[in-house]
Amino acid sequence: MATRQQHRPSGHQGEAEFQWHTGVHHPTGVPDAIEFIKVYKAFGANHVLQGLDLGLPEGRISMILGPSGTGKSVCIKHMVGLMYPDEGDVLIEGQSVPSLPDDELFEMRKKFGVLFQDGALFGSLNLYDNVAFPLRQHTEKGEDEIQEIVMRRLHEVGLGDAIAKMPNELSGGMRKRAGFARALVLDPKIVLFDEPDSGLDPVRTALLCELIKEVHAENGGTYVVITHDIMSARRVAEHIAVLWRGRIVESGPTAELLESENAFVRQFLSGESHGPLGMD
Amino acid sequence: MVRSIADRAFLPTRGLLEEVGDMVVLTGRTILSALRPPYPYGGELVSQFLFVLRLVWFPLLITTVAISYGAPGIQAANFLRLAGALDRLGGFFVLAAIREIGPLITSTVVAGIAGTAITADLGARKIREELDALQVLGVDPVKNLVVPRFLSLMMVTALFDLFALLFGLFGGILAAVVNGQPLGPFWATFFANTTTVDLWGSVLKSMIFGAVIAIVCCYKGMTASGGAEGVGRAVNQAVVITFLANGTFNYIFTQMLLATHPNILVIK
Repeated sequence: MATRQQHRPSGHQGEAEFQWHTGVHHPTGVPDAIEFIKVYKAFGANHVLQGLDLGLPEGRISMILGPSGTGKSVCIKHMVGLMYPDEGDVLIEGQSVPSLPDDELFEMRKKFGVLFQDGALFGSLNLYDNVAFPLRQHTEKGEDEIQEIVMRRLHEVGLGDAIAKMPNELSGGMRKRAGFARALVLDPKIVLFDEPDSGLDPVRTALLCELIKEVHAENGGTYVVITHDIMSARRVAEHIAVLWRGRIVESGPTAELLESENAFVRQFLSGESHGPLGMD
Repeated sequence: MVRSIADRAFLPTRGLLEEVGDMVVLTGRTILSALRPPYPYGGELVSQFLFVLRLVWFPLLITTVAISYGAPGIQAANFLRLAGALDRLGGFFVLAAIREIGPLITSTVVAGIAGTAITADLGARKIREELDALQVLGVDPVKNLVVPRFLSLMMVTALFDLFALLFGLFGGILAAVVNGQPLGPFWATFFANTTTVDLWGSVLKSMIFGAVIAIVCCYKGMTASGGAEGVGRAVNQAVVITFLANGTFNYIFTQMLLATHPNILVIK
């Protein structure tokens, strides 16, 4: 996998709605674990991804930032093969996801751990069984070994004392941490977070961000966080890609993005009301 | 203007055809998944079977007795009494209870109680992203969720059909007794007109009704979108589509059964 070029022109540069989409990609010096190549996706008349070109570097915590309804969650679903592009390609470590047959797709998904927006815990299983589920499903490990792994992961996210609780007895933050523990239990190479901060108060958001950083420092791997929360991005991200109207405006290491001259990127990362992004 | 009118007429039709196509594909995938190893759905199959059994038996009992006594019982008895042929009520109940009312009431009650529960359950799981999580964890939702519901509903509707026949007949007996008719002639005309074709036809029809309910309700649940409101909409659509599909299938099945077994048309 080659490091991406510095400038990636995105299709219809002349169109007024894409005037801020410079497609600049500041080099990271590491190969991309996840690549979107000219991806288009529409739901009826709603064109969500409009020629998305995106590379997310291996071994880093990347954030896909963008306003609501701009296609961030759709990106995650494309990465794990829950959705397929109408046009274009999605590569995971060089492997094209849309062209994988079902059995290889299920195999490829073992590389992933996914934290869904509300944790997506199975309502009929208690916390312990939820976290143990992937191990029972995909490994031949005995119950003793499973217990050791599950308890380690649950202690890591601070839920070691809540193993018998059912998902409906957990708060939003606890459900997310439980989902995080379940996402990590198979030691995945890539962990995806779909708006981990949604519905959380600022303090719990900060704590969850700290947890993501700590776990990444300990386990390594490629982490991709989808969010529109700038504070989370500043706290956690090593690499940022700004997504708007189904295309990347600009992407690169966090320090360089925070210094960007692009008016849209500057407005979005500083959270100001004046700039190219309005209420429309 | 013309385009707008064409769009308004064509787009809903296209959407409907796409949904029907998706349901046919889901049926094919479900049958293949049920037959192809491994078979991880045993536990879920038993649990779904017991779940439907527990929910449906009592409402089905009441509905079958009430409708059989009310519609073919009282109404037909009144008519037959005018013609001085109240003893034919048993023969009429072969037609009413075994061929039509048993399977139709069974499918209606199963769709209304168990089908809606399935759509609501799968719809809620879809909204909570549990189904996505399952797929990401390498679990095939068709094999693990649809197949057990498909098989259990087929089995349970077939069994409930027999249950509905018994209680449907009870409604007929009640009508005969209320009209001061001895039961001997009722049974005589009933058994004179009953054939094994009537019985297996009724059970087979109910079993296919169960398959239709399972596919429609699972499909609607698994494609629900738009939060709690979307789940409610999916449940409503599932019931409407199930009734339409089963009504249409009932017509086709009855025509085919009568065409291939003309002897059951003869009233004895």
